[in-house]
Amino acid sequence: MLEMRKVTVSIAGVRVLREVSLTLRPGVCTVLIGRNGAGKTTTLRAIMGLVPLVSGEILLEGDALHERPGHARAGLGLGYAPEDRRLIPGFSIEENLLLPALALNLTAAERKRRLDDVYGLLPQLAEMRKRPGGATSGGQGKMVALGRALMVGRKAVLLDEPFQGLAPALALDYARTLAALRREREGLALLITESSPHLLDAIADETLSIERGAIEAEDAAPGAATPGH
Amino acid sequence: MLFAIVPLIVDGLANAALIFFVAVGLTLVFSVLRILNVAHGSFYSIGAYVAASIGLWIISSGLNPWLSFPALLIAAALVAALMGPLIERTLVHWTYGKGEAVQILVTFGLFLILEDLQRIVFGVRSIYADTPMALLGVSEIGGIIYLNYQLLLIGLAVLTLIGLRLFIRHTRQGKLISAVVEDREVSEAMGINTRRIFMMAFTLGVFLAALGGALATPTSGVAPGLGAETMVLAFAVAAIAGLGQVEGAAVAAVIVGVARVLAIYYVPALDAVAPYLVMLVVLLIWPYGLFGTTQSRRI
Repeated sequence: MLEMRKVTVSIAGVRVLREVSLTLRPGVCTVLIGRNGAGKTTTLRAIMGLVPLVSGEILLEGDALHERPGHARAGLGLGYAPEDRRLIPGFSIEENLLLPALALNLTAAERKRRLDDVYGLLPQLAEMRKRPGGATSGGQGKMVALGRALMVGRKAVLLDEPFQGLAPALALDYARTLAALRREREGLALLITESSPHLLDAIADETLSIERGAIEAEDAAPGAATPGH
Repeated sequence: MLFAIVPLIVDGLANAALIFFVAVGLTLVFSVLRILNVAHGSFYSIGAYVAASIGLWIISSGLNPWLSFPALLIAAALVAALMGPLIERTLVHWTYGKGEAVQILVTFGLFLILEDLQRIVFGVRSIYADTPMALLGVSEIGGIIYLNYQLLLIGLAVLTLIGLRLFIRHTRQGKLISAVVEDREVSEAMGINTRRIFMMAFTLGVFLAALGGALATPTSGVAPGLGAETMVLAFAVAAIAGLGQVEGAAVAAVIVGVARVLAIYYVPALDAVAPYLVMLVVLLIWPYGLFGTTQSRRI
């Protein structure tokens, strides 16, 4: 469904991705494992159109996604939760969730439907909907960022190191939410990055490993984690 | 003694109102685009010239002089619609994300171009078009005579402040602008067309500056050099408030406007430097301005 073909990206003259190819399929959870600086975040940013490609292409259902501006992604059904959450601090949690719906100018009914959908999946967000985005803990912020990505991510959702810095209890909570998400939205493609694979063994269908900007080994067997941390 | 100061305050507030329009535009453009537009003052003087020209034309062609009032607004809207998107797309657009030196050089170049263009188009003589002020007349409160036009200016500035606040907090476009101010990249990923938001914010900034200029024409007329003078004043206000602070710009404009009028009245020699003395004192105590905070920039 979403395919990166030999994507090369340079940031400030430094090659960050070298001919990265990967495929996301409906209903498949792909986990991208790599150390800090290996190129995980850049892979996601490339898909979201936030960094220019030096070469290669990104296709969404056969159409050239890389030729469209970054802001077109949300409307095409791609949701993205950046690693450091990056909520709008002056907005309430609900306003943060509604931001992509507002950007896409969805009808009030559709906005409400999607919001209810997200609250159904992440009931803890409904309880703190009025709280400012700046007043959330790291774990709560990650949940809000996930909810925000789900507001528009009808086809694929990209999560950048969602477990980074989460307390064990919260990490477990988050993993449960992901499992529930997969049950509820069967056709959804997931791309999750992690620096340590073990937490995601239970939900990963496919594990890729990225190092120094290149995807090394492709391993379709679930749970077969690549070593390294 | 106490009553003697009231007209001065009104005078200061009317002065502050005009500075506020320019300064709030400057600060809005800075918070969205992250560039300090040195040419911002030119939009004030262009707004003034266009308003004065339309005003004189209305009188000379025998139209109803009350049309001078909507003409002020139309002048500002014209300047914004014609110049905002054009300049943002062709010139300012290239400086995004570049160093401050590049931004200042480019916008300073723009300032020089606009100054010369004004001389070519409007000439070098001063233009006076004070019909609106004459039409409104004066009113007497407690034995003191006030220019009604000054009271109108103060009212308009307050309305603009409230309107901007409502626009930013409660409308779709306003919320999208706030999101872009906080985090451009995430906004883009959430589906916000940040290029459009930049263009819109820049045009709104141009409109506010041009409106300030248009509203100033009835009180002071227009002459070459107005743009530079206004720019420095607006910069002083924005610096006192802390760049990026909309409400702060209003408070700072009042401080500067009142300081200026008090200086004119009590220490005329300090007239021109009063705003900068205030700025100096404020920045010595609060280096980021009264309402500013330290900016941390993400790579």
